[in-house]
Amino acid sequence: MGSAPAQIPTSFGHELRACLRCRLVKTYDQFRDAGCENCPFFKMEEDHERIVEVTTPNFNGIISVMDPSRSWAARWLRIGKFAPGCYTLAVAEPLPEEMQLLCQEERVQYVLPKRM
Amino acid sequence: MSQYSDDDDDYSDDGSEMEEEEEEEEPEWNDKGGSGKKRGRSKSDSGGRGGRKKKSSESKYIVWEAEVSDAEDDDEDVDEEDDFFVNGETDLPAEDDQRQYYQPRFNPLQEVEEDFDNLEKIKERLSRYAKDDDYELEELNEVDQQALLPSVRDPKLWMVKCVIGREREVAVCLMQKIIDRGSEFKIRSVIALDHLQNYVYIEADMEAHVKEAIKGMRNIYANNKILLVPIKEMTDVLSVGSKAIDLSRDMWVRMKLGIYKGDLAQVVDVDNVRRRVTVKLIPRIDLQVLANKLEGRETVKKKAFAPPPRFMNVDEARELHIRVEHRRDQTTGDYFESIDNMLFKNGFLYKKVSTKSIAAQNITPTFDELERFKRPSENGEIDFDDLSTLFANRKKGHFMKGDAVIVIRGDLKNMKGWIEKVDEENVLIRSNMKGLPNPLAVYERDLCKYFEPGNFVKVVSGSHEGATGMVVKVDQHVLIVLSDTTKEHIRIFADHVVKSTEVTNGVTKIGDYELHDLVLLSDLSFGVIIKLDSEAIQILKGVPDKPKVSIVKAREIKYKIEKRTNAQDRYKNVITVKDVVRVIEGYSKGKQGPVLQIHKGVLFMHDRHNLEHAGFICAKCSSCVLVGGSNSGANRIVDSFSRFGNFKTPAPVPPSPRRFQRGDMGSNIGSGAGRRQWGGRGNDLLVGTYVKIRLGPFKGYMGRLVEVKEKSVRVELEAKIVTVDRNAISDMTDNVTTPSQYNNMGSQTPMHPSRTPLHPCMTPMRDSGATPIHDGMRTPMRNRAWNPYTPMTPSRDNWENGNPGSWGTSSQYQPESSYDPATPGSGWANSTPGRSYSDVGTPIANAPSPMTPSSVSYLPTTPGGQPMTPGADLDLMSPDIDEEGETWLTPGILVNVHKTGEDSKEGVIRDVLSDGSCVVAVGDRGEGDTVMATQREVRLVFPRKNDHVKIVGGKYRGSRATFIGLDGSDGLVRLDDSLEIKIMKPAMLAKLAHE
Repeated sequence: MGSAPAQIPTSFGHELRACLRCRLVKTYDQFRDAGCENCPFFKMEEDHERIVEVTTPNFNGIISVMDPSRSWAARWLRIGKFAPGCYTLAVAEPLPEEMQLLCQEERVQYVLPKRM
Repeated sequence: MSQYSDDDDDYSDDGSEMEEEEEEEEPEWNDKGGSGKKRGRSKSDSGGRGGRKKKSSESKYIVWEAEVSDAEDDDEDVDEEDDFFVNGETDLPAEDDQRQYYQPRFNPLQEVEEDFDNLEKIKERLSRYAKDDDYELEELNEVDQQALLPSVRDPKLWMVKCVIGREREVAVCLMQKIIDRGSEFKIRSVIALDHLQNYVYIEADMEAHVKEAIKGMRNIYANNKILLVPIKEMTDVLSVGSKAIDLSRDMWVRMKLGIYKGDLAQVVDVDNVRRRVTVKLIPRIDLQVLANKLEGRETVKKKAFAPPPRFMNVDEARELHIRVEHRRDQTTGDYFESIDNMLFKNGFLYKKVSTKSIAAQNITPTFDELERFKRPSENGEIDFDDLSTLFANRKKGHFMKGDAVIVIRGDLKNMKGWIEKVDEENVLIRSNMKGLPNPLAVYERDLCKYFEPGNFVKVVSGSHEGATGMVVKVDQHVLIVLSDTTKEHIRIFADHVVKSTEVTNGVTKIGDYELHDLVLLSDLSFGVIIKLDSEAIQILKGVPDKPKVSIVKAREIKYKIEKRTNAQDRYKNVITVKDVVRVIEGYSKGKQGPVLQIHKGVLFMHDRHNLEHAGFICAKCSSCVLVGGSNSGANRIVDSFSRFGNFKTPAPVPPSPRRFQRGDMGSNIGSGAGRRQWGGRGNDLLVGTYVKIRLGPFKGYMGRLVEVKEKSVRVELEAKIVTVDRNAISDMTDNVTTPSQYNNMGSQTPMHPSRTPLHPCMTPMRDSGATPIHDGMRTPMRNRAWNPYTPMTPSRDNWENGNPGSWGTSSQYQPESSYDPATPGSGWANSTPGRSYSDVGTPIANAPSPMTPSSVSYLPTTPGGQPMTPGADLDLMSPDIDEEGETWLTPGILVNVHKTGEDSKEGVIRDVLSDGSCVVAVGDRGEGDTVMATQREVRLVFPRKNDHVKIVGGKYRGSRATFIGLDGSDGLVRLDDSLEIKIMKPAMLAKLAHE
């Protein structure tokens, strides 16, 4: 276990949301309180309205990554570089364009979800 | 190993971008990160998506070495690549090692097999790379994604059984446990898939690690066997789950559970947070049961029974003393009727369901379903605007280049265009609209296919899948298509069809049962299959009194009745299959057609003019009389011929079956005629018959005719195929037939190019039936089709009247499309010799037939036959004209004036008086004196090829046209107005004087 783990969801139900960029899964409250560990530049903890913009409740499957760098699954899903934590396998929606621009400014790459 | 190889470019590219992003998070890679950033910038400079696309498409199939050459254009790239190489080399001092490193990335498994000794080494190296940012810093693309495919050295996935519904919980709790207990456990990840209940996957190197980690966990059945996921399937575990359903309003879904299972529903509202959806559907509520329940009288639950869908009628409910509340929904503000906590509006049930209980993918509502879904009160018409919601489930490759489309949404609504190019979600279309850029990119979902009446289409999805037909009406996005098989109109969404030149009978075979088969049903009744559907079989029952059609399932058919029997008509003539009979009493009185099936004295015949039941008629044999020839020899020919005369006049036929005629469309859509008609198809009549060679070296040989050419035929003898002269064969099935008849047959060929398309359903029958019972089937056909005089029989002249008796010769006869430019008038030319006419035709014509009640009706045959005779004076046609009384002398046409006792003079009609007599100016330009002539004294001058003519009778009376030539006894003209090619009786054509 390398870096410090992200927050672990405190519930397993409908309150869960996934970050649209890094796919980290937490509850709304957790995002509100601590933001996203992988995408601090979203500053969700400061701008609560942004949580709705950059996270989605509409995701599919959960993967808890204990050891991202040594997990094949994490590498395959391209989350091998993120903090250990619970992620989702896929999100359906893209980031709002504004937020994509923000990613660009921050020089972090954003991956559009694959179209089915 | 290829699941990503064909996928869109974004993924891999993005993957690479993600790597870049990693760099920034890792400060120790600053120097490399710098170049990475540069590159990132340059990419965004090059213009977002497009630029990226290009890049990734380049690198898609080319391994990264290729990027070096690519990078020549780009200094920054070169820098980066160089940088990388330097790095790579320092990292990998030994060449050997380098190979081991790269090769496994392209084919890891193979490498492992080869270099098993080095496994340990590799492992070590890989784990280093895994930790090392360098490993993921380079551009990752498709190939790299493939390089990530799991191999034996990767951790494995183990399937662990857990409590249903607690999959996520297990995953999260395990995560928490590992965080709390530090690196005590060696599992790498836990995967809980939404669509897989009862299991989670745990990624670990060894089963022991998994066991250790799950020890003591709630919700995990630790004692159950832990299953290893094969390496090949590991990627599936992760990729199957990557499809999130995108529910949106107005989308069509199907219920997955409960009494509504399978029912169509429409999404009204989506609550993404609670993952619940409000759908509206047609309630399946038995009000009586509901009333009982509400009154506390519990009824016995019949579990298997689901009430039929029915719109809720509030008044009805009230009558049953069911409490109906009028309630306002707090969130939406809409008013609902609430009954027993169910919400209704406009008769629909509004139901909140979990997103898991509906299926939203690939839902294509059928037309019927949608129609039912429409509230009956709303004038019965479907609001086709909302059909766009149907398009969400289109398959890939739905649109093709060249498709005609119409925009259904947005500013460009109703704009028509043609598809130039199909991108992922955008379609480039070209339109005729001025002032718009061409091509124009339109979002795929804003487009609908567009068809015009007259298009030939094939249905590619939906309940009518496989059917072909012609569009007869376009109602927004719904097409009314005349099916080739059933000759019925079917309503289909434009989106479900493609343009097609194909003519199919739809499904012509289900299992052992083919269209037009005679079958015995399980209730011991019998009937003929008149329509095959993917779901059901329509059968015209063998009930002679009135047509009875039942729709059955294939399993309700006991077997196919193969036995061919004969029957006797009212006059004790033997009727066999393919004989033409006429119904003289009963429900189908007046109809006639060839017999297709005979069973227990019941005849099934096909009347092509009958639009009901795919043209099939069922009648008792005793209610019928034989019309056409039978297979019993030459004497029959006389018989049948006279009967043709007999039935010249009747046959009331709807005057406008035109739109049902395929050939008609030929002229509407340029190429239609060409591709629909199968030139020389008439030849096929002969193909398959058994013939005897009369002349030449093969004299006396018998064989099967395999091919018919212009002058010769190819006959398959016992062992070989030889070429003989047409005249040198005789049909073994009928010794009376004179060889010259084949000649005539040949001449007719060009006349019937469109035979098959009109009656596509007949072809399989004929083909299949021909060989086993060719005796029965061949002969009557030949009697009509080959006999030289048949084209001259009134039945032919009167094909417009639709005398079905002429089935063999003219039933498939198509006026417009049968014109074959290659052989204009060839029919005429070939038939001119009229060889057998004199020796066969005349005696027949003279034969006093007891079957001919009135000689008057017989008379027209003679003039009608004239055009076939060489050198016949075409003026002889004119009695025909007189008799029909429908010709129409007009000024300007060229006539011959025959005054008794004078030579005939050519002249131009100058005026027509009210008594019918005309003022004729003598001379072919009317330059001479004017004379008066009665109608009897003038004869139309028959036009020559390319003459301008006026049509003096029939539907096109008064139109001017150009005479193209003769096809058999028919004149081909091109109308001056519409340039359409029409077929006219020559008697209807009057040559125009030169002006």
